[in-house]
Amino acid sequence: MTFALTGIGVSRGVVAGKAHIQEANRLEIAELEISAAGIDAEVARFNSALKKARQQLKTIRDRIPATTPADIAAFIDTHLLMLEDAALAYVPVDIIRRRHCNAEWALKMQRDELAAVFDEMDDPYLRTRIDDVDHVVNRILGMLLQQQTGRSHDTETEDVDLDGFVIVADDLTPADTILMRHQGIAAFVTEHGGVNSHTAILARSLGIPAIVGVHHVRRYIRQNELIVVDSETGVVLADPDKQMLQQIRVRQDRERHERDQLVRLKKQPTVTRDGHEVSLQANIETPEDTGAIAEVSADGVGLYRTEMLFMNRNDWPDEEEQFHAYLKVVQALNGAPVTIRTLDLGADKQVDGGRAAGAIATNPALGLRAIRLCLKDPTLLFPQLCAILRVSAYGPVRIMLPMLTNLHELSQALQLIHEARQLLRKRGQDFDTALPVGGMIEVPAAALASGLFAEHLDFLSIGTNDLIQYTLAVDRLADDVSHLYEPLHPAVLRLIHMTVAAAASKGIPVSMCGEMAGDANYIPVLLGLGLRELSMHPSLVLEAKGIICNSNTASLSEVVHKILNSNCQSEISGLIETLSNRG
Amino acid sequence: MCFNAAAKMEYDVICKQVTIINKLGLHARAAAKFVKSASAFECNIDLMRGNQRVNGKSIMGVMMLAASRGTTLQIIADGCDEATAVGVLEELINNKFGEGE
Repeated sequence: MTFALTGIGVSRGVVAGKAHIQEANRLEIAELEISAAGIDAEVARFNSALKKARQQLKTIRDRIPATTPADIAAFIDTHLLMLEDAALAYVPVDIIRRRHCNAEWALKMQRDELAAVFDEMDDPYLRTRIDDVDHVVNRILGMLLQQQTGRSHDTETEDVDLDGFVIVADDLTPADTILMRHQGIAAFVTEHGGVNSHTAILARSLGIPAIVGVHHVRRYIRQNELIVVDSETGVVLADPDKQMLQQIRVRQDRERHERDQLVRLKKQPTVTRDGHEVSLQANIETPEDTGAIAEVSADGVGLYRTEMLFMNRNDWPDEEEQFHAYLKVVQALNGAPVTIRTLDLGADKQVDGGRAAGAIATNPALGLRAIRLCLKDPTLLFPQLCAILRVSAYGPVRIMLPMLTNLHELSQALQLIHEARQLLRKRGQDFDTALPVGGMIEVPAAALASGLFAEHLDFLSIGTNDLIQYTLAVDRLADDVSHLYEPLHPAVLRLIHMTVAAAASKGIPVSMCGEMAGDANYIPVLLGLGLRELSMHPSLVLEAKGIICNSNTASLSEVVHKILNSNCQSEISGLIETLSNRG
Repeated sequence: MCFNAAAKMEYDVICKQVTIINKLGLHARAAAKFVKSASAFECNIDLMRGNQRVNGKSIMGVMMLAASRGTTLQIIADGCDEATAVGVLEELINNKFGEGE
């Protein structure tokens, strides 16, 4: 009879395969009294087991295939460090000497002591890290037992052929996962673990289904029984019938097809069905994020948020430090454009330095933040402008000013940029003399007056997170009003449309870099509104490309213009509905 | 700022406040990276959370701090290479231990 067990799906995909059940090596440990004369021998037995456990882990580490994810290899190093730590290497020896007990018992006492500390931890993930301690303790216990019985106790699966099998286990140690890596395993099911467990990380890196936290699964599944593992829903099906297996094959084919398409998309240009090219760029926060850009072949960085450099420290980064951080990004992009946003601190992004914070505002989103803060204290902005100008000598760079509200702010900022250029000339430092300066349109006032701003700027970029929040007077982080946060509100669409039109009439580019730009649901509307440059989290780029390549901007624009001109809410809702079905 | 009276007594000790910003906090692998970096230095390195003080070169000690994201810690370093050590450890924490998030 078919039945289902549920856990947490931590990877993707669905698969059917025979279960390979790994028995847990839960060891029954009893306290034995050791005579005074036998203590030294017992300590030696413990030390020898410890040494063997280390050797065993080192051997596994040395044999790690180069293709193993760095995460998994790092787990082994972590466990090696734990084996060398006084808490596991020396404390049990003290216990043996003090209590005159056997090594196993001493180790168990120390393990329980450590477990009690982990148990008290508030953070749910850190609390689960007792698992790491257990993996290490079990490895030593295994060695102690092996010395007694003379046979290998380890449940490592080196000699079993696991090709096509679903591994069903209590939990997997990092060592297990490395040894299993190249054996063609179809899926993992474990009784313990969460989304960040070793099993989950390994499964995601291998791209195979995995479900963790399926309690008592080994009580219900028999060795070699055919089971279905659905990582999307977290369901394990035992004894599936023919019809189910057929459905799974259909799903697998569809998923394979979708994956192939995404890979193909990566190499393809982003062009709509009616021949409009769209530039897809990435939002990043640190130089390390550039790795993800290459993976999806994004066209550049549309928004480099520089706040991370300024957070969690007591001082500000100086020009040199900023220069080196920006340079890393420019060099990693290798000729693709990088749009660097000047400091956007304040509101939800407070700094520890406290220099900028001043009194806590009752309404920080409307207070001293972003360009307002930078203009109040130009010593904050000026070094940043110099650093950005300097990296423009190494590749295409643009400056983007956040939260412009009135023209006075813009002219002050432009004056500072002018002074920064003069200083660099005086110092004899190179920079791009034609470096484009753009502004973010994220305040309704700026959208309504976007024509005035466009007059003085080289490009505009619409920041939807703030534009929507300010237009609809909805704090997007407040749960009780989140249902009012509606990116498709006609007022928002009209402001976006005005901004696009203002940029077009001045002949300057306009892009969008808020969350709306990367949301598959809104991309058709944005294309219809005339946007041709979108910047989003790197992980969203390929999906966005798929949607764009299937779109026809002419028909989208027709619907969007009906929406903009409609005064009937139900008509607007109906039109929006049709957008998602139309290419 | 250093809140530890004992640490204040020893002069020429560096005491630096840091905040854990990576998503998972100072978990096993992050702690391992911290301990490995710390162990490369000659100076004594302690980590403090409130009144709890542990050896910064012991992975179990560091894990026991249960420092989740947002936790403020003090790095206390004492020895000939203390300044470099604190700089390197601070950068490691601010780089989120090199974890892609």
